[in-house]
Amino acid sequence: MLTYDAYHMPTSLEEALTLWANAAEGSRLVSGATDILPWAREGRAGDVHLPEMVDVTRIPDLDGYAFEKGRIRLGANTVYQDFLTDVTLMRSLPCMPYCAIWFADDQIREQASLAGNLVNASPVADGTPAVVALNGEIELARLDGGQIVRRRVPVVDFITGPGRTQIAEDEIATAVIVDACNGFGGSFQKVGQRRSLVISVACCAALVKTDRDGRVFEDVRLSLGGVGPSPIRMIEAENTLRGERISHGLIEQVAQTAADRVGSRSRQDYRREVVVNFIRAALEDALADQPDIDVKFEDQEEQINA
Amino acid sequence: MPKLRIEAEVNGRKVDRETEPHKRLLDFLRDDLNLTGTKEGCGAGECGTCSVFVDGKLVKSCLMPAGKANGAKIETIEGLAKPGDLTPVQRAFHKTGASQCGYCIPGMVMAATSALRENPQADIEEIKERLGGNICRCTGYTKIFEAVEIAKGVIAGTVPETALEEDMVDDSFIGANVRRLDAPSKVSGRLKYAADMKLPDMLQMQVLRSPHAHARILSIDTSEAEAMDGVACVITAQDVPGTDGFGVFVHDQPIMARDKVRHVGEAVAAVAAEDLVTARRALSKIKVEYEELPGLFDPGEAMAPGAPVIHDYAQDNLIKHIPVRKGDVAAGFAEADLILEDDFSTQQVEHAYLEPEAGVAYVDPDDVVVVISPSQNISHHRHMLAEIIAKPINKVRFIMSPVGGGFGGKEDMIYQGMLALAAMKTHRPVQLNFTREESLIASAKRHPSRVHYRMGLKWDGRITAIEFDMLSDGGAFGMSSEGVMRKAAILSCGPYEVHNLKVDTRVVYTNNTPSGAFRTFGGMQAQFATESMMDMAAEALDMDPFEIRRVNMMKVGAKTHTQQTLETASLDRVLDAAEQASRWEKGAPRVRGATRKDLNGPDTRQPCTLGARIKKASKDSDESERVA
Ligand SMILES: Cc1cc2nc3c(=O)[nH]c(=O)nc-3n(C[C@H](O)[C@H](O)[C@H](O)COP(=O)(O)OP(=O)(O)OC[C@H]3O[C@@H](n4cnc5c(N)ncnc54)[C@H](O)[C@@H]3O)c2cc1C
Ligand code: FES
Ligand code: FES
Repeated sequence: MLTYDAYHMPTSLEEALTLWANAAEGSRLVSGATDILPWAREGRAGDVHLPEMVDVTRIPDLDGYAFEKGRIRLGANTVYQDFLTDVTLMRSLPCMPYCAIWFADDQIREQASLAGNLVNASPVADGTPAVVALNGEIELARLDGGQIVRRRVPVVDFITGPGRTQIAEDEIATAVIVDACNGFGGSFQKVGQRRSLVISVACCAALVKTDRDGRVFEDVRLSLGGVGPSPIRMIEAENTLRGERISHGLIEQVAQTAADRVGSRSRQDYRREVVVNFIRAALEDALADQPDIDVKFEDQEEQINA
Repeated sequence: MPKLRIEAEVNGRKVDRETEPHKRLLDFLRDDLNLTGTKEGCGAGECGTCSVFVDGKLVKSCLMPAGKANGAKIETIEGLAKPGDLTPVQRAFHKTGASQCGYCIPGMVMAATSALRENPQADIEEIKERLGGNICRCTGYTKIFEAVEIAKGVIAGTVPETALEEDMVDDSFIGANVRRLDAPSKVSGRLKYAADMKLPDMLQMQVLRSPHAHARILSIDTSEAEAMDGVACVITAQDVPGTDGFGVFVHDQPIMARDKVRHVGEAVAAVAAEDLVTARRALSKIKVEYEELPGLFDPGEAMAPGAPVIHDYAQDNLIKHIPVRKGDVAAGFAEADLILEDDFSTQQVEHAYLEPEAGVAYVDPDDVVVVISPSQNISHHRHMLAEIIAKPINKVRFIMSPVGGGFGGKEDMIYQGMLALAAMKTHRPVQLNFTREESLIASAKRHPSRVHYRMGLKWDGRITAIEFDMLSDGGAFGMSSEGVMRKAAILSCGPYEVHNLKVDTRVVYTNNTPSGAFRTFGGMQAQFATESMMDMAAEALDMDPFEIRRVNMMKVGAKTHTQQTLETASLDRVLDAAEQASRWEKGAPRVRGATRKDLNGPDTRQPCTLGARIKKASKDSDESERVA
């Protein structure tokens, strides 16, 4: 059971940062609370008493999103359901709707923020591989001599281990900045115990862009979650694919090499097998998801011609 | 403690209240506003019994700090329709019988309402997807989905409103679609389960549970907890005035651990306090000194010499052995053309009813100790409690509150005794609501069982003899174990006439979570073994699996395993119906390969896929740049 003495709902970033800087030790920031509340239960943290909670969801600065030079700045109050209801976001971040549809359920997605998911830094968080594939950065703000100062940290570096990030004590995450990937096909693979309401055992995000004819990989982004303490960007695999003629054989070859990236000690054989299938399925689904492009696999054409 | 002020609109009315800052929206609705149609099935976002609308969006109120309600518009199950009225969604649930225990139903109605508000044209796949955050353990989902589809049609005007009315009943109720009398109370959230009840001056109870599987209790010091402000009483086994011990067959379980603990999660002490937080804090002030004892976790080791003894009265750890003998087994096996032998095991299973255990107790003006709880066995509980609290039976009263799912798991009196003791000690009403975690750790489970099986058969498929040897893990207390073993033995060899059989079912004590009653009461474990054997026999004999069952099935005049002569029998019709309904492809198992024709028919449930709405959204947006 979670108890606390005060629940603050600041309505400006400055007010929030001031409250946060002055909050008693052990206080917590809270966004959707979908991680914090279940955490303070039997079998996890048990009963927890915190001095203060600073809720960031009423800070207008953290709302909405804006395009900036090929990137999108998602306010920290962006929740997972937004990736299923906002058509602009769905188009520009093609892996996010698939990530979102497998994330918890419709109700939790209304509360669960992308920023909270990243700051919580669970090794099996669904958002991290997707954001990493989108070259995501997290924006952090703090007060310095009464002035708001901000910095941006790439999400691959931000998450340093299970539950550990580079966020400083006095910082609040204000945004997540990602590539706008219009024209890409996206996909997200996840295995968990059942359909809704499960945390991943492992997950994988992909973004793919081909040439107009659907023959050559122009750009590929691949990342894995749940296979190590922090998300893994599959740079080598991406490089192998980029510029190459699309074929099932090539995809299979890349998928096989991915198994070696599995670092998690628990259920390693299982995770290795899953990862190979993931990479294959992620690439194929992302290829099929590209708007208005009909992908032509080299080896499939051969078969037809033969 | 500083207060939190909440100004909100709840079900169309302004609310302006002060409450504790740490409350969740769920607590604020239930405790402060008495809107108990919103339930707490898990408190962790997993079940959906707590779903409410906040500013038009459905959310899980157990995951929302109450502070977020400030300035918001909130709609609960009570606010969907005017008092006395029901919405089309609620009426459709009533119509299709989508309300068994009803505990999940307010949440389901909310999720269905949300699905149809978000997308009035949602197809069935999308409806399922949108209801994915709500679980039901007893209605099953078919009737719920049926209801949502009817409601969708009525709201859209494509189905006449009469579709919500009760079907006509001709001259017989049998086979007719009759509405449940109690459904309106469930679909409207008005039905009060034990956790929804409030009595003036009521205390909240919390229970300290054992972290050890097997340990001697050296001392319990409750003084610090008792001295706390707001604590009304602390109780332990010392407070039991009568003969302690309950159980469905053997009274081996004390109200709270006495001298030693036998499983993780066993109640050791309980606190009744002015509020829940105080009660929980008081638990951390109770000091218990344990001396750990060697634990027994494998039923196979329970009867070995030198195994730890769990209960003094049963030095061999045996709770019950049920033997059944019929015919001459040796002769039966001698006659067999083929003998099959194998082992089967089934695991522990939790009932996971959506209503966690809850109860209220008070002492009435005539000194009658009254316990209200969703007990599945109130008369028996009443008799046992009378002994335990040393009162004549007319001074003990049990009231059965609506059971939010039981499945056998609420047959054991695992908390009612503590409530009674605290009510007697304080003369105030006391309530105890289990958390989901507590329900999982403290309530009985389905017996994990192992069966060693030997079956003798003739080439024509006739069974000549069976040896069936079951060992079940009873866990720390006897509970319903004896009955479960009896049933397992009676049903052991299935609905087949076996002339020669030797059946033994045994259940032993271990330091695992106690096993108890669970739907089928031992039948499932036995049938898993028997029906698996039948299939394996069909394979070995190259027979159609239906055929081998017909060869052996009990017919009128057959003698059951316990030698009762059957005057009626229906297995022939059951097999015919099953064969037909499954579009069974006749033949021995080996004739069907990967290409069996009886699989994946039109009525087969397809594996789930998610995301239909993603494709739809991008298509719609191409047309109109707008998405629902
Ligand atoms: C039933 C259920 C199912 C779930 N399913 C999934 C799933 O499928 N995939 C998945 O990845 N996760 C899942 N989760 C976990 C959780 O919903 C997500 O991690 C969610 O994104 C957390 O966001 P939040 O806004 O609710 O975070 P909160 O609980 O509010 O906060 C999480 C952490 O982030 C910090 N924080 C929040 N906002 C900020 C900020 N702006 N600046 C700095 N720190 C901040 C908090 O202090 C806290 O440490 C599930 C949870 C539940 C209960
Ligand atoms: S989801 Fe809130 S109580 Fe279960
Ligand atoms: S009716 Fe759904 S849980 Fe009982």
